[in-house]
Amino acid sequence: MKACPLGIDIPRFIRFLREGDVINAYAKISEQNSLSSICGRICSAPCEKACILKEEGAPPIGIRALERYATDFGCSKIAKRRPEPLGRKKVAVVGSGPAGLAAATELAQRGYPVTVFESFDKPGGILRYGIPEFRIPRQVLDAEINRIKALGVKMEMNFLVGHTATLEELRRQDFAAIVLATGAGVPKFRDLPGANLGGVYYGEEFLMRVNRARKTLFSRKLDKLPLGMRVAVIGSGNTALDCARCAVRLGREVTLIFRRTEEDMRVRQDESIYAKEEGVHFEPLVSPVEILADANHFVGGIKCRRMDFADADGSGQWKIMPVPGSEFVIDADTVVIATGHKPNSLVNREIADLAVNEDGTIKVEDRTGRTSIPGVFAAGNVRTNAGPVVEAIASGKQVAQEVDDYLK
Amino acid sequence: MPFKIVNKQVLDEGVKRIDILAPNIARKIRPGQFVSVCPEENDEHIPLTVTSSDPERGHISLIFPELGQTTRKLGNLPINESVFSILGPLGLPATIQKKGAVVCIANGMGIAQVLPICRAFKDQGNRVIGIIGAKTKKALILEPQMRLACHALLIATNDGSFERRGLATDILEDFLGQNKVDLVYAIGAVDMMRKVCAMTAARGIETLVRLNPVMVDCMGMCGSCRVKVGGEMVLACVEGPEFDGHKVDFNDLEIRMNAYEEPQEWGNRRSKPKPPRSEPKTLAKFLSGIRKS
Repeated sequence: MKACPLGIDIPRFIRFLREGDVINAYAKISEQNSLSSICGRICSAPCEKACILKEEGAPPIGIRALERYATDFGCSKIAKRRPEPLGRKKVAVVGSGPAGLAAATELAQRGYPVTVFESFDKPGGILRYGIPEFRIPRQVLDAEINRIKALGVKMEMNFLVGHTATLEELRRQDFAAIVLATGAGVPKFRDLPGANLGGVYYGEEFLMRVNRARKTLFSRKLDKLPLGMRVAVIGSGNTALDCARCAVRLGREVTLIFRRTEEDMRVRQDESIYAKEEGVHFEPLVSPVEILADANHFVGGIKCRRMDFADADGSGQWKIMPVPGSEFVIDADTVVIATGHKPNSLVNREIADLAVNEDGTIKVEDRTGRTSIPGVFAAGNVRTNAGPVVEAIASGKQVAQEVDDYLK
Repeated sequence: MPFKIVNKQVLDEGVKRIDILAPNIARKIRPGQFVSVCPEENDEHIPLTVTSSDPERGHISLIFPELGQTTRKLGNLPINESVFSILGPLGLPATIQKKGAVVCIANGMGIAQVLPICRAFKDQGNRVIGIIGAKTKKALILEPQMRLACHALLIATNDGSFERRGLATDILEDFLGQNKVDLVYAIGAVDMMRKVCAMTAARGIETLVRLNPVMVDCMGMCGSCRVKVGGEMVLACVEGPEFDGHKVDFNDLEIRMNAYEEPQEWGNRRSKPKPPRSEPKTLAKFLSGIRKS
């Protein structure tokens, strides 16, 4: 229970489930977690790592699956609309990703009128545009957002803070506090030779195009995404696996290239097992050196180098080092680079007084989330640069508490 | 927020202008900025430069050629219908300063983008010379508006059906030889911008170009509009789309612009055309085939 960043009372809700009381189990979860149907699907589940059954040698309890069950079956399908609170100070939340939605829900439950500003045409942020549909079905996400809207949270779409209206203009509209939860979704550019060729995508672009693709009953049409038959994905994180599994679903042969071992991958083990079952070909301990071009400036292949553990300086520290003379070419005609991202800068750069760290994250007072401008708070990955969805939700919740203290 | 189409005009075959009610955007937009438009739900977003805006009535007007399926869909929307989503203003506004003699050169659809910039330069008290080019006289758009926005307008058509025969860059070369110019502003195809930059670099004239790379979300999250400027990788939607012409790596830009043109053999797995059947299939034949097996 201590392992959960949100502090869900895990033993309690499991006990409710054991008694067959799904509704109370959901009530227990939703006390702490407002996005439980999403957490039940994509949480990195630190609780399962800390499960005490592990010490006894047994596999841990599937807490994530239990949470998913409790939410899917325990919550009422019809959301009750709460009357809009009057007379309290208004709060603006910028960004409708996990952190923004968590902060908005928490504040609305405390009785503040909250408006969420989102620049895309639909709320959800990375949950809608970054994570493919087979991991979070859009119906589940829509239901979750409708539940949040029923709390009295207003959602303003197509509104890019800093461009459509500046922060000052928002202040003038009587927003007493502003929470910046703009997230981290900008790809880190790699200086790999040939990264500018046609057929090279960054993971974010690939996922965004696939997720925004139009789905009809008969055809699945992708707009303007030239995709060869042999796709190579570089990276070993969740984004890389999502890209690989998406490409498999589009009927491509997929190779996943990463320079770690399979045990070191930064994903839950079951995710990588699923990927293997679906037919993603894994190439561990391989590092790309150069993307080769063909005559039309498209990808012709990737030159790679094998890596292995080596004790280079004789100090006893075994590091992953390239094996000399082990270069080989992987045959591919599309490359997806999914190796890390950095915080979105578009909102930050429009706000002149906002102090920003060197790596692009917003400078905050430690632990509180207050930025250099009074009344402006930061939550989620724009503060921490990277992290799982649970931590973003936890940070949104914590900032809501701070905003509450600030406005009192 | 409904984005209602209030006016529509066909400028040329396949080139349309629509006026859309978007008060939030019309209030904030400045020359050179663009918007991201999505005509229908779950469709592609495309960047379009705003040609003119009316903050009092809350209108913005967009001019676009009907090339892809999204622009075709946008062009087919009738008056009083709503566009699903418009996000803006995006990108940095054009740097408009008092320079003296400014040449604004554009060809094809670039004319729609250069018009607000010409107007802004004129308002600042510059002497604006417009040089525009098109394939034919019919394909030349916005000529009267450009005449009002510039002090002098020079026109070239490829087939010589109007004014001078040739390319817009030919006129620029003659013009630069005879007159003193302080700034050149170029919008158009990659080839044309490369030529202009080579010309002005030889004479040491400051040059600004506007790039139109492929964009997905227009907010710097996808990286598809990455271009090499001054040896550094930058995103055109965040840092641009206006750049110093002498620093842009045009070879790299050309590769990026062509990166989304699908090679023939790829495709999203289009089903192969069936080989033509040699003889017509009839019911009797079909039945006889069954009997044989």
